[in-house]
Amino acid sequence: MMVRYRSRFLLVQIVIVGLILVLPTGVSAASTVCFSCHKKENFTDTYVHQPLKKGECGSCHNPHVAHFKGLLDEKGAELCYKCHQDAQKKFAQDLVHQPVRRGECLSCHEPHASGSRGLLRHGLKSTCFSCHTTLQEKYKYTHSPYTKGQCSSCHRPHQSEHALLLKFEGETLCFSCHQGDALRKGHPNYPGRLRDCLSCHNPHGSSRKGIIRDVLHAPYAKGCGDCHAKGKKQVGTEVCLGCHGEVAEKTFMSHTHLSGKAVNKCVACHSPHAADEKTLLKGSQAQVCMGCHEDTRVRYEDTLYKHSGAETCTECHDVHGSNLLVMLKGDGNGICTRCHETQGKFTHPIGEKVIDPRTGGMVSCVTCHTPMGSDYKYELKLSGAKDLCVQCHKSY
Amino acid sequence: MRQLYILTKKAVLLLAVFAGMTTTVQAAGQWQWQVTLDASTSGKAMDMPSALYVDGDKQRYYVVDSGNNRLLSFDRDGKFLHAFTAEGSLQRPFDMVRDEDGIFWVVEKGKNSLTAIDVAAKSITPRVLRDGDHTIVADRLTLENNLFYVLDASRGDIAVLNKELVVEKWFSCADCSGGFVDFKIVKGTVWALDRSAKNIVQLAADGSLKSSFSVGEHAAFPVSMAVGPSGFVYVLDRHEGIIAVFDAGGSYKYSFLSGGQMRGQLHFPVEIDFDPWGRLCVVEEGNSRVEVFGR
Repeated sequence: MMVRYRSRFLLVQIVIVGLILVLPTGVSAASTVCFSCHKKENFTDTYVHQPLKKGECGSCHNPHVAHFKGLLDEKGAELCYKCHQDAQKKFAQDLVHQPVRRGECLSCHEPHASGSRGLLRHGLKSTCFSCHTTLQEKYKYTHSPYTKGQCSSCHRPHQSEHALLLKFEGETLCFSCHQGDALRKGHPNYPGRLRDCLSCHNPHGSSRKGIIRDVLHAPYAKGCGDCHAKGKKQVGTEVCLGCHGEVAEKTFMSHTHLSGKAVNKCVACHSPHAADEKTLLKGSQAQVCMGCHEDTRVRYEDTLYKHSGAETCTECHDVHGSNLLVMLKGDGNGICTRCHETQGKFTHPIGEKVIDPRTGGMVSCVTCHTPMGSDYKYELKLSGAKDLCVQCHKSY
Repeated sequence: MRQLYILTKKAVLLLAVFAGMTTTVQAAGQWQWQVTLDASTSGKAMDMPSALYVDGDKQRYYVVDSGNNRLLSFDRDGKFLHAFTAEGSLQRPFDMVRDEDGIFWVVEKGKNSLTAIDVAAKSITPRVLRDGDHTIVADRLTLENNLFYVLDASRGDIAVLNKELVVEKWFSCADCSGGFVDFKIVKGTVWALDRSAKNIVQLAADGSLKSSFSVGEHAAFPVSMAVGPSGFVYVLDRHEGIIAVFDAGGSYKYSFLSGGQMRGQLHFPVEIDFDPWGRLCVVEEGNSRVEVFGR
């Protein structure tokens, strides 16, 4: 009895040792087989993806048959997240970089090997600029990290809890490099603690020394006293509205952006001192508006059909205040027919005399269209083949 | 044998408890559309209604028809009764209450006023609300124990004013990032919604913070909230056209309704509130109507 147990135990040991010896040979054999057709030099560079380095082609590819191009086991980020599980969790939080949200890891990373750290496709600067094409490469005065293409000095590439995917909020980021007396000397008359650097400085560069933004608010160009009476640090909304009467009128509308806890509501969107363009917005409209309306961006970003120019919110929305739905500049017809003149004349009947049987309200362009974008042609709310029409025309 | 008897008894008891629970759930039932407050019989459909006030004693719904500068009344069954324009003087009415003397108090955005309308005396008195140097930008309005609770849109805080419209106190949330956008008074405490942080905040009568919880995972763009008869908190998501439900401790329970134009669907809704009969009323700017849901 004892002898039989011993012989079984020995057999198990032999099998285990055999597997340990054979397994690496098997894996290496897999990669050897692959590289018998696929040129190995095409998969070699300074930085090589770990599975490839270990010869584990099968971690991502099925050698025989697969559902996805490249004989891949999964599509897009799903494949990457099979190993990078921590990243998957993290990348679902806070503000997420567009390609990450879309699961397009390969828009920045090489899957096999790269000359750049992090398996970036073209090095950090080139990778970022391949999408961010509107960014100037060079300014008269350029911030040093920007010149060197060190985008990740200030921005996180995947996600961040701060706007513009910044590493830290406001001045905290700037002060991580800019400290001490030099900083204080550069701001001789600044009232109180230095803060809100981006209110005056363009962190990439500008045509002004000290990378002060190009367009100055007229009172700021004269000095501080017009707004900061008697050295007052905080300036209320009423000070801005005292000059900008046309905006003050909008505060009496049904819907305004006059909300929130801040003493000055205007500076939520505008820089009171200097900016990159004449409306003194703190960034592009897409950045400023979508900073709060993140859900709107997410909802329409991935729709199949998008209205061109939708990133310029002020084309259709009266962003300071409006008596109309969603702060539009005109009603559901007037706003569209400014550009779509023909459809305003020859179309499905619209206007005050045409009643939507579902709601009793007026039929207008937005009765059938979602101007920001939808998954149906012409930005229709439902399929124009049938589903949309039969909502009202039930007998068809 | 005795053990078998005890086991059987326990099983019966368990079944009874389970059956009771099931009945409770069944009794609560699904939310279903019951009636739409429709002004078409007035000769003009609603245009961007912004608020609902329910007079339990008179069994009437009052709808602020903001786009048409008028107030509408309906009976409890949803039958249209009257349209009132205050002789064409209303400018963008936004919210309203009716006091025990029968005076209507209307927030008018167009005048930034709290306007007293005494129909019997045929008097209309708009008043801009102030607290010292500060001008209140009037928004949501509630009347409780002869005190007006007015949301100041410019501060995101709630001002409490007496009948002489003098500010007696403020309800504010020091930790709120964006300020309140809606509130309800329930049993002496203030429940409020901080849209930016997507938080529901409960403040005690003395203004101290009692509790708060996040609704962000379940409401993309929360604009209004209400507390149901059972103490559950209902949060209206304007962009998704859904209502998310939480228990008083902030645990998510479920969501219901969906976006669209058909009956029972929501399009840019702006306010929710419970009527005295336990029905949930949804004011829809986008669909220009008020829908009433019950179980």
